[in-house]
Amino acid sequence: MMKRLDPRTKLALVIGYMIFITADPTEAWVLSSFGFIVLMIVATGKVKAYLQWLRIVATIALTWIIVTWWMFDLATAVIVGLRLTALLSAFFLFFQTTTPTELGNALVQSGLPYWFAFTLSASLQLVPVMSQTIQNIIAAQRSRGIPLEPGWAALRHYPALLVPLLVQSFRLADELAEAMEVRGFSRTKRTFRYQYRFHLTDWLAIVGEVLYIGIALSIRFNPLVGILVF
Amino acid sequence: MIVLQHLRYRYASAGSDWVLQGINLHIAAGEYVLICGPSGSGKSTLCRVFNGLIPHFYGGKLEGKVQIAGLDTCTLPISELFALVGFVTQHVEAQLFNSTVAEEIAFGLESLGLSPSEIDQRIEEVAALLELESLLPRNPRQLSGGEQQLVAIAAIIALRPRVIVLDEPYANLDARNIQRVRSILRQLNQNGTTIIICEHRLRHIVADASRIIVMHQGQIVSDGPPRVIVREDLTAFGIEPPPVVQVARDLALPFTPLQVQELIPAINGHQPPPSLLAAQTFAPPTPASQPLIQLDQVTYSIGPTPILRRVSLDIRAGECLALVGANGAGKTTLIKHFNGLYRPQSGRVIVVDRDTRKADVSQLARHVGLAFQNPDNQFFTTRVWNEIIVGAHMLHRYDERWIRELVRLFDLEPLLDRSPYRLSGGEKKRVAFAASLAAQASILVLDEPTAGQDWHFRQALAQQLHVLRQRGYAIIIVTHDLEFAARHATRWIVIADGEIVTTGQPWEVMANTTAMQRAKLEPTQWFQIAAACNWSEALK
Repeated sequence: MMKRLDPRTKLALVIGYMIFITADPTEAWVLSSFGFIVLMIVATGKVKAYLQWLRIVATIALTWIIVTWWMFDLATAVIVGLRLTALLSAFFLFFQTTTPTELGNALVQSGLPYWFAFTLSASLQLVPVMSQTIQNIIAAQRSRGIPLEPGWAALRHYPALLVPLLVQSFRLADELAEAMEVRGFSRTKRTFRYQYRFHLTDWLAIVGEVLYIGIALSIRFNPLVGILVF
Repeated sequence: MIVLQHLRYRYASAGSDWVLQGINLHIAAGEYVLICGPSGSGKSTLCRVFNGLIPHFYGGKLEGKVQIAGLDTCTLPISELFALVGFVTQHVEAQLFNSTVAEEIAFGLESLGLSPSEIDQRIEEVAALLELESLLPRNPRQLSGGEQQLVAIAAIIALRPRVIVLDEPYANLDARNIQRVRSILRQLNQNGTTIIICEHRLRHIVADASRIIVMHQGQIVSDGPPRVIVREDLTAFGIEPPPVVQVARDLALPFTPLQVQELIPAINGHQPPPSLLAAQTFAPPTPASQPLIQLDQVTYSIGPTPILRRVSLDIRAGECLALVGANGAGKTTLIKHFNGLYRPQSGRVIVVDRDTRKADVSQLARHVGLAFQNPDNQFFTTRVWNEIIVGAHMLHRYDERWIRELVRLFDLEPLLDRSPYRLSGGEKKRVAFAASLAAQASILVLDEPTAGQDWHFRQALAQQLHVLRQRGYAIIIVTHDLEFAARHATRWIVIADGEIVTTGQPWEVMANTTAMQRAKLEPTQWFQIAAACNWSEALK
């Protein structure tokens, strides 16, 4: 279902969810929304990738939990960890079901300037490329005795990583710009292979989320509404 | 189709020399032009003139006239020229910036302003032509090097340009993919598309081209039909004649063949010429010695995909080993096991009596110098000298006498005070080779050392490897350049699907048809000639 939604709808949903999480809802509402997100991930068949993602998220969440526990108390720390994991899971679902190009094209059709939307989508595309470049630089430097193994010791040798990374980034940007030019990037009046239109499912998804967030926050901040609802 | 008159060009950077100096050139529609010449001769710059990247994208100073199909490229923007002259650049990864192969092909078509139905139709057409249908939903960055090259070409072909310019498209491709790209370009040319291609190694393309242009120091020094040009002495321009031409010249044949099939009927009954015997006698067998690297049943997977399967191997002092195989066979993964960058998931790797699972990469760097394909990944100082010695200092193995020796060996003396970033591709590689040996390692591993390099570089590298071998170094090269590997390696290890298919002296391996086919490799032209003529003396 997520794949069928318009990329703009998915972007609106994930931004709405981010507002919801930061607006301090009760744990029950966070848990139920988290459960729904996990169900959607299962439905899209990305469970394996999600588990790998969770391994990385767990490290970040654990750091937050420890810091919050130290500053406040354990209960607050667990709630913070839960909210962070739920929010990052929502972003996982978004990026698994929306390619950067889809997002960029949809934004252009919403009226954003093409150069802006393309810069956004190209930046997202370049994240894995830069990650690969970092790995290649680390491998090349370690191979000649510069210890860039993960850890504090590597900080002493940061120029061996940062200088080639900077140079490679500029070069990649130049080459990318050239490659885009030779395929007509600067030409005006482009068309789009996909025409994005809002369908009933898009409106239903947005209205559904607005209602969910509205009720959850009303209960949180005005218990009277909660009594009326239930 | 293309007219260049009195063309001169220099880049925008301060103090740069004229890269193109007085080029006069007419290329007719439907020609298949090969532009060759040594590194730095101006080939890539000339390619960028054809589609207006020069001067519009690069700036600089351009003098003279450039017309494509009657249009002046200096007054028309690139956005008006891109559909007329398609351009596939040297670094294919930078050309793939979309999320799927289909989107990659669609990008240029969207720029043209075509309707969605026509875009879909052209994607289908070009995918069928290049047999890319199954790749359309995939992320281009997750494809093999060969597949990426095909996608980059597909994205240009879909625009239906009247001219296609390709800058060294074969530099990182294996034999199978080279044949695939060649066949597509031939087909396009037969349908009327003008093809212009830059390449160092003539043997891959000379039979397809209708015209060869030789460049040197920014000028055209020779221009004509392939059969005429290849008979000239081109070695001064960093170009090695194809083996078929060398054999024909040695045997004083009255014609110039461009393919093995043309040569064979004329030379049956002749004795093998000296050039052919020289092609397989450079590297003498290695005397038996203690193994420096031992791999025992090494297995390695990335996720569920096995990359290496039960690889066992000994590498000894004084031998030059070539790891050969198709794109994605597991060669680079294997060499990353030699210095502990990858640890075996089962089995073990012993490097000079050390188990790599129990040693740091930096410890192993004292024994193994590894130079990857792209030297730009390692430069971070402002002087070549500093770049060479930094690893030796880190490992407390700095010895100025040894560094000076390396500087002499790799001919780096004139470059020592220059910035490594400002060197040519070949010079950068030489600095990286010296840097990898600076800590007095006894094993040198080179990843694709000859990719994109001209004949001068290859000759010098062969000599340097020869010197190192005589001093007892073990050398391992990963390469698609089988001509170089056949002439300069003492032993080949053939890899396919993460397994060692066979090992032996180069010409023994090439005679093993089953292994070569499984590894998707094609014997060198020298071997093909000797085998077709049944020259047993050469085949021994």
